[in-house]
Amino acid sequence: MTVKSKNGYEGLLIVIEGTDGSGKSTQLELLKKSIQDKSYGVMVSEWKTSRLIANVIDDAKERNLLNATTYSLLYAADFADRLENQIIPALKSGFIVLLDRYFYTALARDVVRGQCIEWVKNLYEYAPEPDLVFYLDMPVDVLLKRIIGTTGLNYYESGRDVGFSTDFYKSFEIYQNKCLEQYNAMKSEYNFISIDGTKSIPEIHEIMNAEVQKLLDSGILA
Amino acid sequence: MGRLTEKHNLKGTLVCVEGIDGSGKSTQLALLRDWLKSIGQDVIFTEWNSSELICQTTKLAKKKNLLSPRTFSLLHAVDFADRAKQVIAPALKAGFIVLADRYAYTAFARDVARGVDAQWVRKVYDFAYRPDLAIYFDIDPKTSLERICFNRTPKFYEAGMDLKLSNDPYESYMIFQGRVIDEYKKMVDEFGLVQLNAMDSIHSKQVKIREMLRKVLLEKGIEV
Repeated sequence: MTVKSKNGYEGLLIVIEGTDGSGKSTQLELLKKSIQDKSYGVMVSEWKTSRLIANVIDDAKERNLLNATTYSLLYAADFADRLENQIIPALKSGFIVLLDRYFYTALARDVVRGQCIEWVKNLYEYAPEPDLVFYLDMPVDVLLKRIIGTTGLNYYESGRDVGFSTDFYKSFEIYQNKCLEQYNAMKSEYNFISIDGTKSIPEIHEIMNAEVQKLLDSGILA
Repeated sequence: MGRLTEKHNLKGTLVCVEGIDGSGKSTQLALLRDWLKSIGQDVIFTEWNSSELICQTTKLAKKKNLLSPRTFSLLHAVDFADRAKQVIAPALKAGFIVLADRYAYTAFARDVARGVDAQWVRKVYDFAYRPDLAIYFDIDPKTSLERICFNRTPKFYEAGMDLKLSNDPYESYMIFQGRVIDEYKKMVDEFGLVQLNAMDSIHSKQVKIREMLRKVLLEKGIEV
């Protein structure tokens, strides 16, 4: 069997990207269900969930132990662990792998924290190319409301560690705006399918589902 | 490449020792440290895989044999970055003599011996300052094995068992550490490591090392 996917393995790699509060997890769940309903094998993997390293990151964040470089490298280690132990094995066995965030998240966040983009790209240069990347595009004012209304502003999501402002609201605004700039710069470089995140949940799902269907109709996993 | 190939302009002095286990580098560094302290120099010592942030995780993961070469590499990079930013850089800025038991070259040797791309790992570490003096202790794998494993079996990762080179840990150690040594030898020219023969006596090595350090310090206007 010849491999037709962009990722280089038998399965499909589908990514949902976007800043915090853009609705990624909701869409991931919906997409997972709709793909399952079509009798395909689906596996989901979320950012920062490797058994090995995720706890270290949480603990270090809690104790404010991280500098920009260790922040980058810990996330890169988490990613490497998940990629090699979960994602690639699943792709090899022909699964559709749905990812909540991919290395684009690291590119955005690390560069905002002052890292050189080429250095960060090198950390992830071995990552397989996704077959689809959905990007949930959200204006910062909507994001702010969503996050304040749900989880509340947290230290790192507000970029407080970068020192933009000691005011949480202000810091969040600056940090998320800078992340958005980075995402915008990546859109064409990585072929993001950009979706207006202010659309309704079913509308967004419809768009994603149609793109996935198109790919499946091409017989890529036949 | 970044800082590793450029001279740093900080007040302090960075010295590192490199080589496979059993090459006597830690002994030499301890002697150097005691001497420097005794003559009133400000010295800071830092060693591989010792950062509070991550070293426990790495040790645990090693025990469970959980690590792929790339994850192994990145976890050690976290440890190094933590020490580089929190310990080494501030000490160099404050004018200390920093003694490092293993430095980025350890990663270049071990990770590449594990099959990680040589350029990739060099880029990962390109935030590291170039040492003023980097000493490589050259030893053959057999002597190393005899020294560190006279009363125990080689450990999983130090023997490179993750690479499945051999089911026998002793044989695997010989092959794997042989590869690590090959990588070190390439770096003697690439990064200007000073090679010492590990088989020389403790005394003669220490004399040479102090002589080299004296020269380095003199260039900075420090006479010891």
